[in-house]
Amino acid sequence: MTQRISKYQRFKMMNPILQFFKFIYLSIKIMIIVAGGHGGTRKTNH
Amino acid sequence: MSKIVVLGAGISGHVAASHLRRKLSKKHEIVVVSPNSNYQWIPSNIWVGIGRMKPEKILFPLAPLYKKKGINYKQAKAVSFFPEGDKDETKPYVLSEYVVGEKKGQQEKVTYDYLINATGPKLNFEATEGLIPGQNKTYSVCTYTHADHAWQGLNKVIQQMKEGKKAKILIGTGHAKATCQGAAFEYILNVEQELRRHKVRDMAEITWISNEYQLGDFGMDGMLMSYGSMTMKSSEMVEMIFEDRDIKWILGAGVNKIEDGLAHYENLEGEIKTESFDFAMLIPSFSGHGFKAYDKNNNDITEKLFKGFMIVDADYTVKPYEEWSVQDWPETYQNPTYKNIFAPGIAFAPPHTISKPRQSKNGTDIFPAPPRTGMPSGITAKLVADNIIDSIKKGEESLHHKGSMGNMGAACIASAGYGMTQGSGISITTYPIVPDYYKYPKTQGRKLGKTFGEIGLAGHWLKLALHHAFMYKAKMKPFWWLIPE
Ligand SMILES: Cc1cc2nc3c(=O)[nH]c(=O)nc-3n(C[C@H](O)[C@H](O)[C@H](O)COP(=O)(O)OP(=O)(O)OC[C@H]3O[C@@H](n4cnc5c(N)ncnc54)[C@H](O)[C@@H]3O)c2cc1C
Repeated sequence: MTQRISKYQRFKMMNPILQFFKFIYLSIKIMIIVAGGHGGTRKTNH
Repeated sequence: MSKIVVLGAGISGHVAASHLRRKLSKKHEIVVVSPNSNYQWIPSNIWVGIGRMKPEKILFPLAPLYKKKGINYKQAKAVSFFPEGDKDETKPYVLSEYVVGEKKGQQEKVTYDYLINATGPKLNFEATEGLIPGQNKTYSVCTYTHADHAWQGLNKVIQQMKEGKKAKILIGTGHAKATCQGAAFEYILNVEQELRRHKVRDMAEITWISNEYQLGDFGMDGMLMSYGSMTMKSSEMVEMIFEDRDIKWILGAGVNKIEDGLAHYENLEGEIKTESFDFAMLIPSFSGHGFKAYDKNNNDITEKLFKGFMIVDADYTVKPYEEWSVQDWPETYQNPTYKNIFAPGIAFAPPHTISKPRQSKNGTDIFPAPPRTGMPSGITAKLVADNIIDSIKKGEESLHHKGSMGNMGAACIASAGYGMTQGSGISITTYPIVPDYYKYPKTQGRKLGKTFGEIGLAGHWLKLALHHAFMYKAKMKPFWWLIPE
């Protein structure tokens, strides 16, 4: 069955104070993934 | 001294040119050849297409910036490639044609020591009969002019709805093998929110049409992701959002013909169907630019350089989906025949798709082409520039910088509605972009934790912050290079 967005979830999604902290958290998390770097695949994997 | 020619000034061409200029002394020449006089931050076209951002906010003219920074700019388009030169010209060159001014129509042999082909995709509207931006009630948001037209078209329909006329809105992919589902996904959510803002949502039926087999495929074979404390499939997440926004969906649809307000398509069941609409935004298929290449004796050697897009260090051996691996994907974006030619961003020919290929019961291929979003376009352009810089400084080929899409994360912040307090965004990160089933066999080829989704107002702020950060970076303002790709 399809998961629905509940009223409480929606409140959390749109609450500016909660979302401000989420903004900081997401920015850091995304930076970590981006700064996590990149590389080749051919010599490391197999 | 070396001369590096960059074709294209989109995300990857501009990133490459700016890093080359910053890190190489002025005795080395950087030349950019691009037909569009403006740089555009394409991801914000979505907001131009709903009338919430003016095109001027997402673009700036390239010529003054390049003049100030010491980059030689030619407002011209590449026509054909001569990687060995010709009988009169010993150096390799690209035949380019000026597109404006006194020199308009004139051709020039632009010689190079290193060539970066960052010409992105050709928006191949012709591949779908009747899919012409601004005609037959269909629009595109792929360029700022298209997006501006789309807003005019949408606004007209909004005004009609205000006068009591019901409307059908169709958004998605306009070809059986189109890509860029993410952009269409952003646009459908933004349109839905704008209709609510204009208080006409109940007058509209909004439908998603796509060549994806499942919702949330995004040309990346879908993903398993962390969502809050749950683990969720991207298909479930998108279904939840569409259900919540009362958006209908048609999947496995290869749109093949557009008539005034009608989209004809074939689905995976082999059924031939038609969907009517009052406003449609359909992403066209992307193709290579059809460039030709010649050797020094003027023999056609196009197949050494191009396979639609440019051939690079990918493994192009044809093999079944089950045998695909991350090792098929390129790492240095270097052409194997002419080692001073590179193709980052969308300009390189992918080894195959990322999504599973599927055919309709009539044998028509209906599945998404692989996306190359802004972040990998920027990262691959920077690593190509870094390898060229190292090669020039060392006096020998250096390919230490590598970045396979099978070993690279991507952050995709999809706008789901505009507004500082009412806006929303869906933040999705994926690691790696191309699923690595060998490393992550139990989580559909992706690393959970680094592959996650979030929905909410913060996503909108993030997308807006990225818009400003990347415009700042593209304008090469102080310390621009500290902002990562
Ligand atoms: C509506 C939309 C929204 C998007 N949103 C996002 C997003 O939110 N996040 C994200 O990561 N990605 C997004 N993308 C994808 C992103 O825009 C692309 O990944 C990126 O633009 C690719 O960069 P590129 O430099 O390879 O190609 P392009 O940006 O297309 O640049 C190609 C350049 O080549 C030039 N050119 C064309 N022909 C020639 C020729 N013959 N000679 C010389 N130059 C030529 C063009 O003028 C242009 O300057 C979006 C795309 C679209 C269409």
